Amino acid sequence: MDWGRVRFFLSEVWRNFTRNAAMQITAIGTVAVTVALLGGFLFVRDALGRVGDEMLHQIQISVFLADGTSASAAQAIGAQIGHDPRVLSAQYVPKAAGLHEMRDRLRGQIDTALLTNNPLPDAYRVRLVRPEDVHVVAGAISKIPGVANVTYAQDAVTRALRVGEVLARIGLVVLAVLVIVAAIIISNTIRLTVYARRREIAIMQLVGATNTYIRMPFVCEGLLAGLLGSLLALAVLALAERQLLPKLIAALPFVPLHGAVPNGATLALELLATGAAVGVVGSWISVGRYLRT
Amino acid sequence: MTYPNGTRALDDVDLEIAKASFVFLVGHSGTGKSSLLRLIYRETLPTRGQVEVDGIRVDRLRRSRVPQLRRNLGVVFQDFKLLQDKTVWENVAFALQVTGARTRDVMRQVPRVLDLVGLPHKSRMFPTELSGGEQQRTAIARALVNNPKILLCDEPTGNLDPSNTTEIMELLLRINLKGTTVVVATHNQAVVDRMRRRVVRLEDGRVVADEERGFYFGDRMRAADGLG
Repeated sequence: MDWGRVRFFLSEVWRNFTRNAAMQITAIGTVAVTVALLGGFLFVRDALGRVGDEMLHQIQISVFLADGTSASAAQAIGAQIGHDPRVLSAQYVPKAAGLHEMRDRLRGQIDTALLTNNPLPDAYRVRLVRPEDVHVVAGAISKIPGVANVTYAQDAVTRALRVGEVLARIGLVVLAVLVIVAAIIISNTIRLTVYARRREIAIMQLVGATNTYIRMPFVCEGLLAGLLGSLLALAVLALAERQLLPKLIAALPFVPLHGAVPNGATLALELLATGAAVGVVGSWISVGRYLRT
Repeated sequence: MTYPNGTRALDDVDLEIAKASFVFLVGHSGTGKSSLLRLIYRETLPTRGQVEVDGIRVDRLRRSRVPQLRRNLGVVFQDFKLLQDKTVWENVAFALQVTGARTRDVMRQVPRVLDLVGLPHKSRMFPTELSGGEQQRTAIARALVNNPKILLCDEPTGNLDPSNTTEIMELLLRINLKGTTVVVATHNQAVVDRMRRRVVRLEDGRVVADEERGFYFGDRMRAADGLG
């Protein structure tokens, strides 16, 4: 290892980084804002997804058995439903329990004493592993002999699924736009620093430095700006998590937010990596353009 | 050789420069002296024709091989092209450092060339603290630190007073005597006439005169003297 060479390289990077302080601050600020937005956006998307999931997971299929199904037949049907790997649970609700529930639900609205004979069949209440499977599973169950009727909140499921999909798609677009904007701003900023150092680059080319060598300090600068920017953003996000999130949870009791950002460490690493990548790609492109001309 | 804007900079130039020789390229500004030098260190490519340097076809050189060519060429300019925020030592060492030289070689080569150009005592000074002649000597040291076989000088004394000009020319001669091919583009008549080296005269991109031990206005002077 030739430490003199390493020291020269690092001192060049540092010299340029500090000499173009104003531009570097611009680049760092851009990355910070982008990454903070990105982080906030990911959190919101995660929270919305959680709300949707919660809604979906409350969805259940009611399976009504044909009148007069024997207890053993009912048990067999239950076993058959439970056998499907897509089914999370199948809870047996005999007609008596069904009536009891119904009375509870309707109390105060109608005179439940009027319900003298029980109109309800025996039933199963089925929950699913993945709510998306509801149509298929309901269809399959309805074909089981002895099953009279299958109902579930069809519209609600379809809509919830569609909203989830749309959210995911919008999310991807917003993410992509944010990252591209950041890369463009960084590459422009770095282009300014490249321009400020055009004499030095010209001399390097004149004395026979390779393009890779010329590019390297700029890419390192980009990396440094990206990392510093995303660290700044992470600090802001951590502060928001500590100060803002509890208030948000208090204000929105029906939204199932958690006390902390889930997978905080992973998310932080991802954001850091994004910032670094944006810095490297942005500087790589802007120096490349300059070297080719 | 034609530039993208349509200017024909060089036309039908057929020139051979011998190893270890000293050649002046003379002519008015804009007659193609700089273009000719740029072809040699592949700053530009010929529209047509061939450029060969030390057995290498420069006009066909792959882009990735250009740095290798440049390490075997030293180039010096009228405006010195020194980095203002680096000392003399750092400016000279820069040429080695950015081509990946080992620190050991930097420590050995930089003092050698600073000695050669006569600036060892100014190695810690910045270009702004130096005279024009000293700045040009620094630039020459930088051009030589890679031990090139060829030294190209584009108006090296254009910004210098007569005494500094003489010093620089003597330095270039000394470098030439050590075996380096030296090509000097200049329109300094006094220098050319005093040194009596090979003179290649360009006019409108064409070679109009080429003489060993020539004068700046070689042909015309003789024509005027009735010797032509």
